[in-house]
Amino acid sequence: MAQSESDYAGAAEVPARATPGRDRRSFWGRLLGNEFYRAVSAVLFKTEQRQFWLLASFPLLWVFFAHLGPILQMVWISFVDSYPPTAGREPQLTIANWTSFFREAIFVMPFLRTLAFAFVLTLCTLVLTYPVAYFLAKHVKRKNQLLFLLLLLIPFWVGEIVRTYAIMILLGNNGAVNLVLKFLGLIDRPIPFMYTSFSLGVGIIYLTSLYMLLPLYSALEKIPNSYLEAAADLGAGSWYRFRRVTLPLSKEGIASGCTLVFLISTGYYATPVLLGGPSTTVFAETIAGFFHVAGDKWPVGAAFSSLMLITTLAITGMFLKLMGRSGKGMMQ
Amino acid sequence: MTRHTRILMSVIYWAFIIYLFVPLVLMVVMGFKDSKFIGFPIRGWTLDWYADVLQNTQVLGVFAYSMAIALATTALSLVIGTWVACFLGPHRFRGKLIVFAVTCLPAVIPGIISAISLRIFARLIEIEPGMLAIILGHTVHNVPFVALVVMARLATLPRSHIEAARDLGADAIVAFFRITLPYLMPALIGAGIFCMLLSFDDFVRAYFLGGYAPTLPVLIFAKLRSGMSPEINAISTVVLLLTAVLGLWAERSMRRMNKGTS
Amino acid sequence: MGQHRKAIVTLERITKRFGEVTAIDDLDMEIMAGEFITFLGPSGCGKSTTLRILGGFEKLDQGRVIVDGEDVTRLPPNRRDVNMVFQDYALFPHMTVAQNIAFGLELKGKTRAEIDKRRGELIDFLRLGGLSGRTPDQLSGGQRQRVALARALAPDPKLLLLDEPLGALDAKLRGQVQVELKDIQKRTGKTFFFVTHDQEEALTMSDRIVVMNAGRVEQDGTPEDLYFRPRSRFVAEFIGETNLIQGTVAGRDNGAIIIDWNGLKVRGAAGEGAAPAAGSPVTAALRLESVTCHAEKPVEGNAIAGRVVHRLFKGSRTALDIRVGEREGAVLKAYMDATEAQRIAHENLWVSWDASRLSVLRD
Repeated sequence: MAQSESDYAGAAEVPARATPGRDRRSFWGRLLGNEFYRAVSAVLFKTEQRQFWLLASFPLLWVFFAHLGPILQMVWISFVDSYPPTAGREPQLTIANWTSFFREAIFVMPFLRTLAFAFVLTLCTLVLTYPVAYFLAKHVKRKNQLLFLLLLLIPFWVGEIVRTYAIMILLGNNGAVNLVLKFLGLIDRPIPFMYTSFSLGVGIIYLTSLYMLLPLYSALEKIPNSYLEAAADLGAGSWYRFRRVTLPLSKEGIASGCTLVFLISTGYYATPVLLGGPSTTVFAETIAGFFHVAGDKWPVGAAFSSLMLITTLAITGMFLKLMGRSGKGMMQ
Repeated sequence: MTRHTRILMSVIYWAFIIYLFVPLVLMVVMGFKDSKFIGFPIRGWTLDWYADVLQNTQVLGVFAYSMAIALATTALSLVIGTWVACFLGPHRFRGKLIVFAVTCLPAVIPGIISAISLRIFARLIEIEPGMLAIILGHTVHNVPFVALVVMARLATLPRSHIEAARDLGADAIVAFFRITLPYLMPALIGAGIFCMLLSFDDFVRAYFLGGYAPTLPVLIFAKLRSGMSPEINAISTVVLLLTAVLGLWAERSMRRMNKGTS
Repeated sequence: MGQHRKAIVTLERITKRFGEVTAIDDLDMEIMAGEFITFLGPSGCGKSTTLRILGGFEKLDQGRVIVDGEDVTRLPPNRRDVNMVFQDYALFPHMTVAQNIAFGLELKGKTRAEIDKRRGELIDFLRLGGLSGRTPDQLSGGQRQRVALARALAPDPKLLLLDEPLGALDAKLRGQVQVELKDIQKRTGKTFFFVTHDQEEALTMSDRIVVMNAGRVEQDGTPEDLYFRPRSRFVAEFIGETNLIQGTVAGRDNGAIIIDWNGLKVRGAAGEGAAPAAGSPVTAALRLESVTCHAEKPVEGNAIAGRVVHRLFKGSRTALDIRVGEREGAVLKAYMDATEAQRIAHENLWVSWDASRLSVLRD
């Protein structure tokens, strides 16, 4: 496009200089002017529809193949009688993998135990972290809240293995807790905390408290102080205010937090192995057992895994429905 | 709220902080113990364990391995996650909710199930357990987080900015690279560092998708199975320092992002 | 700018619907090269939609857009020779002022030298000297607006669109910027397409105003036309303060219409089109400023006697509600110089106006 004549005041002619930089054109300008690019983009971007599908194709492929694919595949092979397939033998469809679960107590016990654990631990985590979240949201000045939150986050970045190890040091027979108790003269011999439900519980609460805290904090922080002030103004005492105003309004946070903690705590493998004992086998260990042995136990493992997935998602779904929201909405 | 409640709440918060930090502090301290035996009381102090770890080629090799995986998966997750976010964010279409749900799926599945399903899937697409499998497994796990963070940032980009770019001659590609991408940069940095952390810390997926070479968490786990020793403490402390630095850096970038401009 | 006979933009029978709502209903007009045209109207009247259609940001359902002889209806914004100044300026936050201004030029494939030269011209012209290294968050509102203008002018478009760009400025600044914008338009000779809901702004800056209401053009003319000779009730009420004189047609007299207003006979100027029949109800508009108030009966002219029923002191002038004639209901609003107003004895005064200022309305 040629420049038209313009009568801007004071436009001085720049003397022509043959410096190399002056004749450079911007990369994007050159790209837009390039014949090949124009031809290709004319075809590719012809209509809005086409542009949309160009943008959509890879994400859709990835999301359905990489996110959903493994789950579907896992469910699929749970109905097969041998996987990886042995040469020369067609895999047959069967539900034996699923029925084998119900036949053995050695499978059912860890399953029920995992669910019970998850329930109890979720509740404990809720009770433990709610006051902390409340303090953060309501008693800390807004500009300091980030700092206080940051302090809470730091221990969580180091990862589950290191943190589990730290609990081991805490609870061991020669650990810090026993040392303090001995020092205070409360005990003569160390209390065997380790390899029990107790140590496992402490460990999992330790690992998951952030997942409860953050949604709670987020929900509580959104409650305007004016609501509580209005309630106080109308004569409500502090416990009443909490029960009738704060608690219901933090329902969303409670729902999110409990869901997250429940799902995550059922999924731990290393922590139960390290902190728990033979009497606290969780279902994750059972499932893992089928994959460590080379051979055709994978379908059983897949079946158990699918069973656990369905159960936990169903429980979560029912819970969220109880709390008055759909699961998809929660994910926003 | 009365003063008493406020004090009580404050005590609860600090008690909680102590509860979170004490085990880690103990773990760090134990790394200085002059003895092969983990436990209290500590009678002698030494720096030898740390010196050993920092010179141990095996451990350093595992560090590097974990780092390499973290970097690779971060790069992949950022590209894929951003692409998904750019698709999901501004467009309205039928089935968007389902696509969004499936995108978030890897983040909400219990860890063991995620690891198992990926292990089976890797077999299907004929990828041997090893570095590539772990990278892909971590990427699948990370993409939801990247997508969410980028979508949040993308939602704050005024439509007029893109329209202005197009008005001045930009097509969709130019507008993305010259306007959208620079705007997303704070989100990408924050999400990227978060990916590094997630990958570095991950155990279950690395355990089931890994080959003979362990990642750092898998190494620590293996060593713990055969008994505790201050060597493990030294390794863990280094991990602690590293992740603390990464985490704080991520928080700073995210905070800058919430201020509005890049 | 005297004669600009050449039509630079033609809007040919444009219709645009959003679902059930018709945003623009069969809009058909031409925009002349070099004119400052404003589309004025309340929210939802279709002015912004027209702007966006011109820019290429909305697709139309029917019609064509022709810019300088080229049918651009199907072209996306980046292929049109039309640039826009956005309401929120949309300055790219990660680029400096210099980079923002250069953006369009770079994408056109200009060389460094050409870009520097053009940018320098605009920076001087729009008084942005010394600001080229700053980023948008380091600029004031007025400065940002000038940068947005410079950026849009840099690629030398055939048409410049301005989407309510003065909304974010405070009142004092707005006044200054209005004058500046008008000046810039005159000096560059560019065709400016301006959109606003502020009628004062439109009156100050425009060569031509198009008043829109619910997707249709209410009136299209110069500011004086619209102000003193509104053709519809909507325009009369939207622009300025108006007295609405409602009566019946009593007759005609040399192209003027005699209106029986509550017993008074007044003469109004009719526009083009068929004159209303005798006896039919008619409304005419009279601007407050068109009414002259006299403390004593003026010697010549046909002034009407009236009585002040309400006054409001407004500093430099007093607003008066005046009952004219015998019967109830004939009340005029007018302004009078405050000192003069004090001289009115017993609230009795005389009012007169130029007959050409009493504009008979279509509806």
